[in-house]
Amino acid sequence: MSIGAMIGDILRSLFKKPATQRYPYERYPTPDRLRGKLFYDPTKCTGCQLCIKDCPSDAIELIVLDKVNKRFVMRYNIDRCTYCAQCVQNCRFDCLSMSNEQYEMAALQRQPFEVFYGRDEDVQFLLERATREDPEAQPCQPPA
Amino acid sequence: MNNLTLPALVSLLFFPGGLFLLAGGLVYEYIDRKLVARFQNRIGPRWFQPLADVIKLLAKEEIVPNGVHKGLFIALPVIGLASTLTAALYVPMVGFAPAFSFRGDLIVVLYLLSVMTLCLGLAGANTADRFSLVGATRTLTQLFSYEAPFLLALLGPAIVARTWQIGEINLYAQNNLWFVVMQPIGFLVALVGLMGKLELPPFDAPEAETEIVAGPLTEYSGRGLALFRIGKNVELVIGLTLVAAFYLGGIANPLDFLWKTLVLLLVTAALQSLFARLRIDQTVGLWWRAGALLALLQLVAIIVGQMIRPLIFGG
Amino acid sequence: MDAQQIGKGKFVVPIGPQHPALKEPGHFEFTVDGEIVTGASVRLGYVHRGIEKGAENRNYTQAMYLMERVCGICSHVHATAFALGTEKLAGITAPPRAQAIRSLVGELERIHSHLLWLGVAAHEGGFDTLFMYSWRDREVVMDLLEGLTGNRVNYSVNVIGGVKVDVDDAQRDAILKGVDFLEERTHHYIKIITTDETLLGRTVGVGVMTKEQAIELGAIGPTGRASGLERDVRVDAPYAGYKDFPVRLVTDEAGDLQARFVVRMKELLESYRLIREILDHLPTGDLTVRAPRRIPAGETVSRVEAPRGELFYYIKSNGTDMPERVKIRTPSLCNWASVINLAPGYKLADMPMILSGIDPCFSCNDRLIKVNDRSVSQVWTWEDLRQHGIEYYR
Repeated sequence: MSIGAMIGDILRSLFKKPATQRYPYERYPTPDRLRGKLFYDPTKCTGCQLCIKDCPSDAIELIVLDKVNKRFVMRYNIDRCTYCAQCVQNCRFDCLSMSNEQYEMAALQRQPFEVFYGRDEDVQFLLERATREDPEAQPCQPPA
Repeated sequence: MNNLTLPALVSLLFFPGGLFLLAGGLVYEYIDRKLVARFQNRIGPRWFQPLADVIKLLAKEEIVPNGVHKGLFIALPVIGLASTLTAALYVPMVGFAPAFSFRGDLIVVLYLLSVMTLCLGLAGANTADRFSLVGATRTLTQLFSYEAPFLLALLGPAIVARTWQIGEINLYAQNNLWFVVMQPIGFLVALVGLMGKLELPPFDAPEAETEIVAGPLTEYSGRGLALFRIGKNVELVIGLTLVAAFYLGGIANPLDFLWKTLVLLLVTAALQSLFARLRIDQTVGLWWRAGALLALLQLVAIIVGQMIRPLIFGG
Repeated sequence: MDAQQIGKGKFVVPIGPQHPALKEPGHFEFTVDGEIVTGASVRLGYVHRGIEKGAENRNYTQAMYLMERVCGICSHVHATAFALGTEKLAGITAPPRAQAIRSLVGELERIHSHLLWLGVAAHEGGFDTLFMYSWRDREVVMDLLEGLTGNRVNYSVNVIGGVKVDVDDAQRDAILKGVDFLEERTHHYIKIITTDETLLGRTVGVGVMTKEQAIELGAIGPTGRASGLERDVRVDAPYAGYKDFPVRLVTDEAGDLQARFVVRMKELLESYRLIREILDHLPTGDLTVRAPRRIPAGETVSRVEAPRGELFYYIKSNGTDMPERVKIRTPSLCNWASVINLAPGYKLADMPMILSGIDPCFSCNDRLIKVNDRSVSQVWTWEDLRQHGIEYYR
């Protein structure tokens, strides 16, 4: 039986650095294994689509322009991704990886949530085709 | 050593009665919150947080719920704040002499401070909300339990100083041995009584958020809530000043005021963070079984001492 | 019991669906006489999400990630239960190292859950300092989990047929160091909860449940064990790594809130011991075995011990790559009866503590139950369910 069993703790804390942080101004280093934003390397990809099959949230889509010449574009919807890394696990050619640095992806517009990975000219080609086919749908424009 | 005096209008509107106390209340709330945060190993709020809260509340719409007496609903926060501000006039704020003073003003101040709690209780009972009703019952129960011990604790120094006037007691305390040494039990009861009066943890059963949301203030928003909060803060400053003036060797100058009240605030902040919330029956039990009894013992000892002293020292 | 009926002509204090004491929506009505509670009723279902139905049009791997999101605090046990059940149906067994890592993460998760509960329970009792300190120390185990698995909440450790993450030497040292620190702190917390006068005043003799009552009300997990009920899936039917690393049962006879505090804190000590043992004798070998995409037809039951008690999964397969039916019974659901039956007779101020004493998790246990009044069977599609939900809360 004692009154105020935490007195040791509170007195020590008075002379200690607070455990909380002023977050946006200072932050802890992230661990190596942190599952952040997904990255895709089209040069290693074979277009097997195993990553798409097991994605629990339909976050990724592989658009095959030319399978023989390895012209792949991956459309990645960050806002749908649950960061489970199942696609990374499924990929046998190491073309998917998750960043441990980019993890703060909140944004006020929709635009940054749609990312296209692939060779620049392929992405360009795809975007142009999309606007040509359907002038109303502009994939990279923020909603009015 | 004598305290300074101020013209009446200044003391009513600016210092120590009006604006100064409002600002002081916010500062003391900030210090209190910051200290509790540091005791809990947190950073705590920034310096303008209490002010920002008040401004936000004042800018918000005040919703008057159905089923309340509208006049009472709006008037109660004003009455509560006004009574605490009035009480400040009789207290040696910041080391200046009380703005107004008469024989027996100690009793008046104590009652004025109770008006605040009474307003809280009425505000709760006024609304039809069930959390407010339970909160009001608890507030009034707690009012009746801490009132007697707190009064008895402040009576100790008054009896020794042979006056009911706060200013006189303050002067007496400055020129004699600190009452905290002479009457340690009284000091403890007064400090804990002050925490009970202000409904600080662990005596916050009337507004226990995990049970009854915000107690009597559940239905209040906007201006009413802001006024009640300011009133509480002002009461905190006055209460600390009273205890410091009585028990910590009086308040002679602003510096004296600052360090003595801040030390008291440090102690109350530590007590706030040290305990689990007492149930209302435990609060009442503690007060009537321990608090009142101890204060009474102290009082009897003082009276006996007063009677014996002339016999020993040939008085 | 219907909430409207018991409340007639009496003073009813409603708690929830939105209330500061509740971190998730649930509705309780306490009939009070002054401060004494005379009756209690509960209404659940505010956070029904249709997860069971959702699993039916996803393949097994996708469904596992969905199951992981049944509960935010004990996400790993849900995925483990589902993975174990699916593996049983597929006729494969994960390698020993994978099983040990599943147990390791499970125990780390138990530590984080119990420390979280300690903070919440202390907060319900108005002891915010204990709340802040226990959550500060909980950060240590959260960081360990983040370093080990890559996320603080949804660890995604499991795959069907094994685990994704391995424990290397650096991880091992970090975990051992963290566990040493936490063990010291846990001893300190045990001292506080068994000696602090104000906390004892709020916990001793509050919400007393005898062993007979516990059996009758179907209490499980630490809530039941605090009443002397010797029931723990890890001991009774060891799964994953618990076959190789046996668990010692922690029980208490008192059955009050104090006992629930003590049992959970002592379980932490047991978890620390278990983690050290697993790390010292971690089996070597592969992390995964190959799992078929199409699971053979059949049905199975999978039980694991979540931090709150026994978690039960029923999985039915029809031979395709999607489960035909998944039924989940979470531990919180079993413990509601104890809250409602224990509440009368205690003070209103005790209610939040009795409520949090079972460590309730609302969104876990909200399932749609439709009792057919006529013998008409009915199949609801996903869209029907959605519409029903919208209409229900309108």
